Amino acid sequence: MGLFTRDRLDTQCTIEIEHTFDNLHAHVELDGDVELGPGDQVKVHGAAVRLPFGERLTLRRDVTVWKATPFERLWTKLKAQLELTELYEITFSSEKP
Amino acid sequence: MNAVSPISANGAVEITKDDAMAIARQETVLSPRFYTTDYDAMDKIDVSGVRAEWDSLIAEMQADPNKKHFKRTPEFDGVIAAMDPELKPEFIDFLVSSMTSEFSGCILYAEITKRMKNPDAKALFKLMARDESRHAGFINDSLKDAGIGIDLGFLTKTKKYTFFRPKFIFYATYLSEKIGYARYITIHRHLEKHPEKRFHPIFKWFQEWCNDEFRHGEAFALLMRADPKLTSGLNVLWIRFFLNAVYATMYVRDHKRPVLYKHFGIDPTDFGFKVFRITTDITQQVFPIGLQTDAPSYRALLETMRTTSDAIDAAAAQGGLIGSIKRIGLSLKAAATFARLYLHPVDKLAVTPNVRMAPVW
Repeated sequence: MGLFTRDRLDTQCTIEIEHTFDNLHAHVELDGDVELGPGDQVKVHGAAVRLPFGERLTLRRDVTVWKATPFERLWTKLKAQLELTELYEITFSSEKP
Repeated sequence: MNAVSPISANGAVEITKDDAMAIARQETVLSPRFYTTDYDAMDKIDVSGVRAEWDSLIAEMQADPNKKHFKRTPEFDGVIAAMDPELKPEFIDFLVSSMTSEFSGCILYAEITKRMKNPDAKALFKLMARDESRHAGFINDSLKDAGIGIDLGFLTKTKKYTFFRPKFIFYATYLSEKIGYARYITIHRHLEKHPEKRFHPIFKWFQEWCNDEFRHGEAFALLMRADPKLTSGLNVLWIRFFLNAVYATMYVRDHKRPVLYKHFGIDPTDFGFKVFRITTDITQQVFPIGLQTDAPSYRALLETMRTTSDAIDAAAAQGGLIGSIKRIGLSLKAAATFARLYLHPVDKLAVTPNVRMAPVW
């Protein structure tokens, strides 16, 4: 891990989406045992994913992970202390648009 | 997970005429945040102190009594299209925010499931992700009726992972699951008494829906009771913070949907205090304090918070330099009001001997 530069990792991922009456979810699973830490960034490549109602889809895509530098890791952790309110949005109504 | 679709080699999805039509329609942009936490600490969770209650809860969730519960009935057809034009945008906003919350919860729980090794907690988070996905699907179905689709653009955008300590996830999600139950059951009981106010059939499923939320809260209660440090000492100050933050946020936001509550025939202020009372009764299973939400001094501070929030909105709408200066001043006032809410005396509570409670409200 570089002190000031982010390490880049290119791999593939599986995206599993369901858009039906019974379920609505979208999960991205990276190949290999990539451990994501605070401040790491993940970019799935390719066109935007669209899925009409009533369908399920499993996709394979290229993905790039940028590991955060130690400074970014620390900064992300500090900043998160100020973003605690985000946490209770999980099952609580979000702000009016 | 039960993916059956073929895997597409390059992931390209052909855009058809139907898709183009869908793009032209209104869409809910799903933009969940991505979290990591201290997974080593999460893996050390030890539920042996509450083993019997834990096993019975997991067995109950695995038996999945609600599996085929949510149903689409013909009475859903055309309700939103025919809805009072004043009510429609607030009701849609209510559905969108509920669905987004369920979807975000699903992502959070699924991410935790993927990374955990501890079999007890892993089983729990997997089951909760299942329920959240199911709730999101059910709400989404009603949004579909209103011609609103979903935008999965977040999947191909750069996602940055943030970090929350496990205890913050426990306090916040426990409280939001339980207050979610209290909110939905209060609406449900009200509509049982006043069926003429039930302007959409989705409310008929509120009891089953909120019983799932209640069960999720039970699991977090057991996790916290398994480690007494989480609910004692300095951590009580964190509990006090989350209680105040969640209550104040709910109070302010509910008042921003006046038309929705008018159609329910519910006064948002009475609603808020009823929900807080139920939540305090429930959280006594794990939190050693309760906020004095029935004290006139506490209520007055919540009102100050609400009027200040409205004034901030007005200043934002005004814009310009004057608007910006007003906003800074009003934000300081909101922060000071929150500090006073936080410092308001609290009731010390004796936690219930048994952790598990029944959803009897």
